[in-house]
Amino acid sequence: MGEAGQVTFAMQTFERIHPVEFQRRFLSQSTRHTGREFMQFRSLQVIKGAISTAQGSATVRLGNTTVVCGIKAEVCEPDVKQPSSGYLTTNVELSPMCSARFRPGAPSDEAQVASEHIHRLSAHLLDLTQLCIETGRAVWSLSADIVCLKHDGNVLDAAVIALVAALEDLQLPRAEFDSATGMVSAERTMCHVEVKRGLFPATFTLVDDMYVVADADDAEEQMAAASLLVVMDRDGKLVNVWKRGAGLMSKETVELCVNAARVRMAEIAKALH
Amino acid sequence: LNRADGSAQFSAGNTSVVSGIYGPVEAKVYEEKLDRAVVEVKFRPDIGAPTTKDKWMESAIRNTFEREILAHLHPRTLVQIVIQLREGDGSVDSAAINATSLALVDAGIPLKCMITAATCAVLSDDTTVVDPTQEEIDAARSTHTFAFASGSSTGPLYVDSRGDFTMDEYNHCYELCALATERVLAFMRTAIEGKVTKEAKISAA
Repeated sequence: MGEAGQVTFAMQTFERIHPVEFQRRFLSQSTRHTGREFMQFRSLQVIKGAISTAQGSATVRLGNTTVVCGIKAEVCEPDVKQPSSGYLTTNVELSPMCSARFRPGAPSDEAQVASEHIHRLSAHLLDLTQLCIETGRAVWSLSADIVCLKHDGNVLDAAVIALVAALEDLQLPRAEFDSATGMVSAERTMCHVEVKRGLFPATFTLVDDMYVVADADDAEEQMAAASLLVVMDRDGKLVNVWKRGAGLMSKETVELCVNAARVRMAEIAKALH
Repeated sequence: LNRADGSAQFSAGNTSVVSGIYGPVEAKVYEEKLDRAVVEVKFRPDIGAPTTKDKWMESAIRNTFEREILAHLHPRTLVQIVIQLREGDGSVDSAAINATSLALVDAGIPLKCMITAATCAVLSDDTTVVDPTQEEIDAARSTHTFAFASGSSTGPLYVDSRGDFTMDEYNHCYELCALATERVLAFMRTAIEGKVTKEAKISAA
């Protein structure tokens, strides 16, 4: 009994003191420290409508990583150059609440990069003319806030799925523009917005310059040499292939990841509906 | 740039990017790394204040160059890369990467290899254009930027493909950009050789 207790203690100490070596022990045996396969993604759980005060919301749990997306809708004037288009702005928040890595205050570089990347991806999600109430006078402006509650790696995938789910959950009241008073009045009937292409993300991380793992958790991300994000739409066409980090991934590896992303797409679609 | 330790300007068509390198300089105590140099990138747009878009670009460039710079030779220092977009007309990211590569050589920062980049776009009529202008990018179905390490053909160093594309289109663009970066590398080599011979003449005289 005492001996078994000693072994466990030593393993936890080893993990703390030599995190890289600890991970290597598993990776060199073609497995991961949580027992997953290299190309195995964590279980995905999507709960829509978690926030009652938001017009659309969703909570996504990807293993231990938890992300919440809330969408608020406001009426405003459209851009002069695009008088029939509404707005969709996205913001990713990575606060000290989710991980000790982040400091309070201005958004970190990681948060800004994530916000920007999701903003670019979100352009494929909605046809913004759906948000038009009255051309040139009133449109809906949707602001999506994606907050990470718990960071255990791969926040980007979780954030994209949360955004898509929240948009599917979104209900806007039918609005009428009164040209006499310049006011917008909302009716009781609610309607959904149509999500155009759908976004199905899959992140693959090159760990320790040698092993490509899918859906890395926090410990594995700390050893990341490079990271590859593959986003597909409903029809299996590619929306985004983004490799960051200078660790080398061969052309064949990229193709392997794209195929794995296709399989992952079915898993995500199932979780969303 | 005569204040910087190294600088280079890379122009392709109307796009013009200047990259300035400051370093290795002393890093602030809370920023420094004990065994390697810290690489910092600042990207300034042509008009307006920096936005999250520029932060994204900074992050992309930093991640690409961080490991190619032999940082272990200069521990506890800072290598600062400042990129100024002078005029943007498409393919800005590849121009920025190319300018930074040249500037690092100019600054004498030890590198593992040269990094060259190229952008191409797939237009709505299925034709592919290398080094597209902003107009072509706005009308394109997908745009792809690839950066490669010279002398390594196993895979890309940096990939940013977005839009609506298939794996075949991706592979086609990959091949085109690989060819384009070879040309860029040859151009860089001539430029550097020219500068080095000129400097040798001046110091000999």
